[in-house]
Amino acid sequence: MELVRITRNAWGQETLEGISWDLLPVAFALGAAIIIGHLVWRAMKSRASRESGQSPS
Amino acid sequence: MTTQQIPPPAGPRQGDSPLITRHAPIDRVFHWVTALAVLLLMGSAFLPILGLKFSWVPLHWITGVVLTIAVLFHLVRSTFFRRLRCMVFGPRDIRDAIQGRLAAKYTLAQKLMHAGLGTAVLVATVTGVAMLAKVDTPLWTRNPYLLDASTWGVIYVLHGASALVCLTLTMAHVYFSLLPEKRAYLRAMVAGQLTRAEAAQFHDPQRWSGQRKDDPRENHK
Repeated sequence: MELVRITRNAWGQETLEGISWDLLPVAFALGAAIIIGHLVWRAMKSRASRESGQSPS
Repeated sequence: MTTQQIPPPAGPRQGDSPLITRHAPIDRVFHWVTALAVLLLMGSAFLPILGLKFSWVPLHWITGVVLTIAVLFHLVRSTFFRRLRCMVFGPRDIRDAIQGRLAAKYTLAQKLMHAGLGTAVLVATVTGVAMLAKVDTPLWTRNPYLLDASTWGVIYVLHGASALVCLTLTMAHVYFSLLPEKRAYLRAMVAGQLTRAEAAQFHDPQRWSGQRKDDPRENHK
């Protein structure tokens, strides 16, 4: 997976074009991972609180 | 005919706990203008990449100008007219979070989210302002030769990278704002206020009272 987009002009020189849009699904997946990770942590915390007879904060 | 028992409406009632101000109206307007602008900018940038073709440039640059004005307004207001340090995080915030102590006006998580999303939006705005030179508009004529090709490349990379960070952090920000235990913050960003009981869950009343400047408790830091 490329991190940046590079083009080559008529003289063979490489020019930086921008960030690679292959990273768009990666950014989305990172956001989803934060959400899922927090949901799992929250569920585990809630379960642990229930088992110890306390209300989750 | 029986009358049904109508449950009380959800949300704070003034009789339960006094309401305190968390966000001034101007700050709420700034937040929602910025939120709408960022969503429109991400939509007009990412949807064409995903295959939804439309004339995205006018929407993108006009929204970008609106976001730039909003960011400038926020920078000036928070630097010169508000206490900037209430949003800056430091060792004390980390210590408080580890020891489970209540925060002042903003929790460590809120400060980190603000720092991350704020930096990404700032980088996207600064690079976006430079990129306006490449767009023909009724207000100015394009000048693609303002910078050399390699500098434009760096600007495009920074603009794209900050946009991707915005996507990740916006997803997290929206998710956290919708959590039931944090719903009071969302309501405060809409209506401006929290009940004192809601504030006391996460904030030390000695360090943040929610009162205005003329309140003597405001001096407790």
